[in-house]
Amino acid sequence: MTAIQPPPTRGVREAVGVPGPDPSRRVGARVRRNSWLYLLLLPGVAYFLVFRYAPMGGAVIAFKDYVPFLGIADSPWVGLAHFQDFFTNPDFPRLLVNTLVLALLNLCVAFPLTIVLALLLNELRLTLLKRTVQTLVYIPHFLSWTVVASLTYLLLSVEAGPLLQLVQSVTGSDVTPLTDPGWFRSIIVAQEVWKNTGWGTIIFLAALATVDQEQYEAAIVDGAGRFQRVWHVTLPSIRGTIVIMLVLAIGQILNTGFEQIYLMTNALNRSVADVFDTYVYFVGITQGAYSYSTAVGLFKAIVGVVLVLGADRIAKKLDGSGIF
Amino acid sequence: MPRTPRTLAAAAALAAASLVVTACSSSDASEGGEELSTVSIQAPFLGAAPPQQGSEIEKRLEEMTGKQIEVTWVPNSSYEDKTNVTLAGDQVPTVMVIQGKTPGFVKNAEAGAFWDLTDVLADYPNLTTENPEVQEAASVNGTVYGIYRARDVMRASVIVRKDWLNNLGLQMPRTTEDLANVARAFTEDDPDGNGVDDTSGLIVPKWPGGINSNSPWDVMATWFGAGNGWTERDGELVPNFTTDEWLQAVDYEKSLIDNGWVNPDYATLDSASWNEPFFQGKGGIIIDVHSRAEQIRKLFKQQDPNTFQDYVDSTGNLVGPDGELHAHPTTGYSGFLVIPKSQVRTEEQLHDVLQFLDTMASKDAQVLENNGIEGVNFTVVDGKAQAVDTPEAQALTEEVASWAQLGTNVAGYVAYQPKMATEYEQAEYDERRAIEKADMEDAVFDEAAPYVSQTYVLKGAQLDNIVSDARLQYLAGQIDKAALLDAIERWRSSGGEQIIAEINELAQGNS
Repeated sequence: MTAIQPPPTRGVREAVGVPGPDPSRRVGARVRRNSWLYLLLLPGVAYFLVFRYAPMGGAVIAFKDYVPFLGIADSPWVGLAHFQDFFTNPDFPRLLVNTLVLALLNLCVAFPLTIVLALLLNELRLTLLKRTVQTLVYIPHFLSWTVVASLTYLLLSVEAGPLLQLVQSVTGSDVTPLTDPGWFRSIIVAQEVWKNTGWGTIIFLAALATVDQEQYEAAIVDGAGRFQRVWHVTLPSIRGTIVIMLVLAIGQILNTGFEQIYLMTNALNRSVADVFDTYVYFVGITQGAYSYSTAVGLFKAIVGVVLVLGADRIAKKLDGSGIF
Repeated sequence: MPRTPRTLAAAAALAAASLVVTACSSSDASEGGEELSTVSIQAPFLGAAPPQQGSEIEKRLEEMTGKQIEVTWVPNSSYEDKTNVTLAGDQVPTVMVIQGKTPGFVKNAEAGAFWDLTDVLADYPNLTTENPEVQEAASVNGTVYGIYRARDVMRASVIVRKDWLNNLGLQMPRTTEDLANVARAFTEDDPDGNGVDDTSGLIVPKWPGGINSNSPWDVMATWFGAGNGWTERDGELVPNFTTDEWLQAVDYEKSLIDNGWVNPDYATLDSASWNEPFFQGKGGIIIDVHSRAEQIRKLFKQQDPNTFQDYVDSTGNLVGPDGELHAHPTTGYSGFLVIPKSQVRTEEQLHDVLQFLDTMASKDAQVLENNGIEGVNFTVVDGKAQAVDTPEAQALTEEVASWAQLGTNVAGYVAYQPKMATEYEQAEYDERRAIEKADMEDAVFDEAAPYVSQTYVLKGAQLDNIVSDARLQYLAGQIDKAALLDAIERWRSSGGEQIIAEINELAQGNS
């Protein structure tokens, strides 16, 4: 284990200016010393180069009028025309609002619920019960969105959906959640919570397992009740994990989950259902507007990077911990 | 640096990795000017599974044409996506089925990705069209890029529960007014006699296409005299949704929904399970195509072969409120076969491929593609193909349905007509043909079919969505008439006006 280099820390970066032996010689020696480890690293690096970095070159078609027959190199340059088209398109504000609203709802509802569920599981003292409940809440994660969407359609179908009949008898109104734009976001968030909350607890449970038991004992001696222990011991101990997960979640904010939304969209709720992901599919793949949809995708990626860096900066300011 | 085993191993790993990378990109060797021994084809399939490679039909077609045939079968539901991906990739086939004049196709065609066949098809007897107007409609502003796949032109049909009509003493609808009456009676008068209010009249599914994609709503608009797609008003070609008749038709459709005479899940019902509510007795009217009536009859036949003739009746187009018949035809083609230039480089090779397609459209090949293998899955009785009723024969018949996707039949369908299993089915089939023929006389064609406007290529599909979504929202009562008119106005202002101008310019240049 001693051979593994510690991850580069701020200390290393600050050390760059320090005079010392020729850095290239130093690097060479290090590589030779750990050559087996570098060999192990190679497939991972190759994977990222081939499947993650090489395709980025294709993003250049966002600035061209790409026609497959002409190829990427020979398609004419159009500069920022596709971006201009997109920002002046009447669809743009609608897509932005829909995407952000869905993302914020997921962040404000699904994310805290994951922590709450993890805390609840952590409080269970009967191991068998805890294990069983854990397994049960993980299961929905392994169902594909197609299955989740089919279940939703069955439960809410106008013909014989049991859940719909319940809702209608309780509210006494004639709601049709599958086609009513007012219901769309609630359904999406509910599906997300049902499917992924259990799975999301894993990382928090791992963090909770590392909390020092002596602190609890000390808290008990001081007369702290269950809620006080959660509030004053558990939550502060996993604050770092929560911040990191939050920063990562914010980076994903514009990835609203293509499959889920695509499957739940119909002509009657499209006004609130269109998001960047479905728009890129619709325009790019089904209509063959490759350049335009690449421009949209690129815009989405840039916003994602800005958000994740911004969130990280804020997290560091508030609490001193962050990722980058 | 000494060559230690470690650095060697690293070098080997690197070499292996780069091999994997190059292997991905070098599989598509170009064949220069030599004769093509293999013809690769991309085509859709509709059944549960595509034909096996090396199947009997494939072997016979290969024997007939003297070429190796390699077909990439793509599920019909994702064919559009796959086409756009294929065109952007480097594995372009020799021949590919293009399902319609989509923006992606038009852009590639205008950049010169496909051979221009306008002047060469006449040299091949089986590729010479018998309907020049259909070939014109399948062209891009007069340039023919593909051999269209001929289809029945008149297919629209109203399918009705016959037992319900009899129970209530009603006649088959002949006009749109009759249709509303029957839909009302099927909803309110307990047509199945079970004393429970559990039926609706018309069954409409979630339609995969947008505006003017032959949905039941579109067919009704044509019946009302709005035209089919584009129509001429005051000497100018305009899209049908700008006409008063179209708005009338939408109001009629809305009244059917508001009265509860349409299945309540018309916006979400999966179109693949369209037959079920009809078969299960939840609804009694379907507006679609004649062949669906046949499908439903088969469902009833499986349930009870003795009584199945009592359940399904069908007719053709209905007379509109103006007392005239405006029949809704299809375009007469279902996409076309194009020859991409990336595989076929020279005129000689093009000639070779066209010869191949000519043979694929000959009588013997048509029989293989449409009927199957004589003596195995059908026998010829009175000059018609009668299906053999064994499991193996049915498996072959299913495979044939996929091969039919390669059939163009532009010079006419010369394979065997099907002979129906029972006299009742034969009578229905003959009646269907008679109805189609009669409806043809009042067919309303899309007057802008051959024209492709540049603005439409850029953003037509999004524009059309504005109108088709607004129509459904209006039907569902989510928006009012003013908002529907606003949506049509938005269509105009976001590029529709330009499309109208361009289409008219093309039309004038053509006449």
